Amino acid sequence: MDWTYWFALSALVICNIACIFHFFRLVGLGPPTDYSYRRGSVQKAVKYAFTRAMNPAKKESAFLHLPTYTAGILYHLGTFMGFFLFILALLRINPGKNTSLVLAAFLLISAISGAAILLKRILKKELIALSNPDDFISNILVTLFQLITALMLLDPSFLSAYFVITGILLLYMPVGKLKHTVYFFSARYHLGFFYGWRGVWPPK
Amino acid sequence: METLSKDKIQQGLSVLNGEMDGKLLTNLNSCVHCGLCADSCIYYRTEKNARYIPATKVDLVASIYRKYHTFTGKVWPGLVGARKLDENTINDMVDLLYGACTMCGRCTTHCSVGVDISYVVRKGREMLSNMGYVPKTLQSTVDAAIHTGNNMSITTNEFVDTLKWLEEDLQFEVNDKNANIPLDEPGKDMLYTLNPREPKFFPLSISAMAKIFYAANESWTLSTNMYDVTNYAYYSGNLKEAAIIAQRLHDEMENLQAQTCVLAECGHGSRAFRWEGPNYIHKNYPFDTITSVELLARYLKEGKIKVDPAKIDAKVTLHDPCNLVRSGGIWKEQRYILQQCVNDFTEMTPHGIDNLCCGGGGGQLAMSEYNERRMNIARLKADQITNTGAKIVATPCHNCVDQLTQINVTYKMGVQIKTLAEIVADALILDEK
Repeated sequence: MDWTYWFALSALVICNIACIFHFFRLVGLGPPTDYSYRRGSVQKAVKYAFTRAMNPAKKESAFLHLPTYTAGILYHLGTFMGFFLFILALLRINPGKNTSLVLAAFLLISAISGAAILLKRILKKELIALSNPDDFISNILVTLFQLITALMLLDPSFLSAYFVITGILLLYMPVGKLKHTVYFFSARYHLGFFYGWRGVWPPK
Repeated sequence: METLSKDKIQQGLSVLNGEMDGKLLTNLNSCVHCGLCADSCIYYRTEKNARYIPATKVDLVASIYRKYHTFTGKVWPGLVGARKLDENTINDMVDLLYGACTMCGRCTTHCSVGVDISYVVRKGREMLSNMGYVPKTLQSTVDAAIHTGNNMSITTNEFVDTLKWLEEDLQFEVNDKNANIPLDEPGKDMLYTLNPREPKFFPLSISAMAKIFYAANESWTLSTNMYDVTNYAYYSGNLKEAAIIAQRLHDEMENLQAQTCVLAECGHGSRAFRWEGPNYIHKNYPFDTITSVELLARYLKEGKIKVDPAKIDAKVTLHDPCNLVRSGGIWKEQRYILQQCVNDFTEMTPHGIDNLCCGGGGGQLAMSEYNERRMNIARLKADQITNTGAKIVATPCHNCVDQLTQINVTYKMGVQIKTLAEIVADALILDEK
């Protein structure tokens, strides 16, 4: 095992510690408090926030922008898959040739989706105005991560490069916007709490 | 703009320091700048200006948080777009958070992540309020409420005179000399609140509700001491002033020993007292609250009042106030009322929780410096109404009534704007007493 393996493993540990820090800081701030009289079910609304409220038919951000929405979903699925494959790579588990081919094909599609989202950010003046360097770096790192994962699956000689790029991504994750990995779940919970308490969600 | 002192900056930053909670921390760290919220905002949809994208407004507040509270923002602010709280930032905040947001919350429900955008805007307004940057026009409305007890500075004599005149009118209309508008009567079931626009400009909406109370044989009273349901400090972001206003109505409920506080047809007022008020004063209310929309629906369901829909033959549409519907969960009741009271009811597209703000929320009606912008964005609402072909627009919110009335004139729509109580009163069948 060369240094790149240990670099990636160390980055994973650091990333996890940082994400756990973010998580426990959130938990440490306690649950939401509300002195008004509850008119609905928070539990049902939180469930709704994580399920039917995410339905693309319910969100303009999805149904008015179906290509971007689809690209985003594929991009995220590719990222989740990439992290799963990273754990396998650390454990030296090979998914097998045929499976690797299928996974690499999917990762290629997800990386293309990521690149398309990046291109949109570059080309649309509204998005450029909204963006900061972190938005581009985050996208580039994740897209590269997916590409190099696909290459590593097809050709093991990319393993060292794969560990380096993955390590950089993991080290960057807690400091930039990629930390929404942690905060996304909390955002959905708080949204569910807010609308559930007032009886807005789930819709009657 | 006056020079920023260190103290003032600290007062602004205190919103992001000591008062941090899980919800705020979450919302300041969640936006991914996808920009997909843009089309949910009436400002962006009308003007197509990147500054009006809701994510830009969130980022204004979040960028300050990053500058002062994150490692990256402190050592490499350019990387994550961290901004100092300085004159330029404050100018942008005032223009975008006060002048280009009605806090309608439509972007929140459509956000791909689930960032509570209007909540972050409120926090930004809190920061500005702490530093003394509330637009003077909005602050004067708050000041009026704080100093006179109502946001229109109506004197008690003027208020009582108006109500006495309305009482005589009621007696004539229902042909009953015993019909009355009770004032300051303790021990009644309900204390009815008003938007001060009613006694000042729309007294007939008080008449309408008084007529309905009369028909329902309700045990109710108005207070001459504290009747104002509005709370413009909710819009300005001044929590102390918001607490003073909420506490007054709370105290008047206790003083008059009423069981239920009936919140007049005022979207932000009902929200500010029912949902935000207990949090402003940090305690539960020992009484119940009900919006007049819920009360009217209840009267109709229980048969306490009877209506004849044939009395209103024009096509009616409904404008859903954001604070009552999207942030208050009340959207079935007003539809039930209209289905009972009119023969031809048609919905706008979109409607309900997804309805477009009229453009008058967020304190916009009080901030005359943004009038031109406010009436530009109102084009969306004008189109929505026109597309229904309705001749009457009903809405359970006096802020919305004001904005819709101005839209009606500006866009030459030729419709009537009415509150729900006015619709119900028009359709009411009075039993002989």
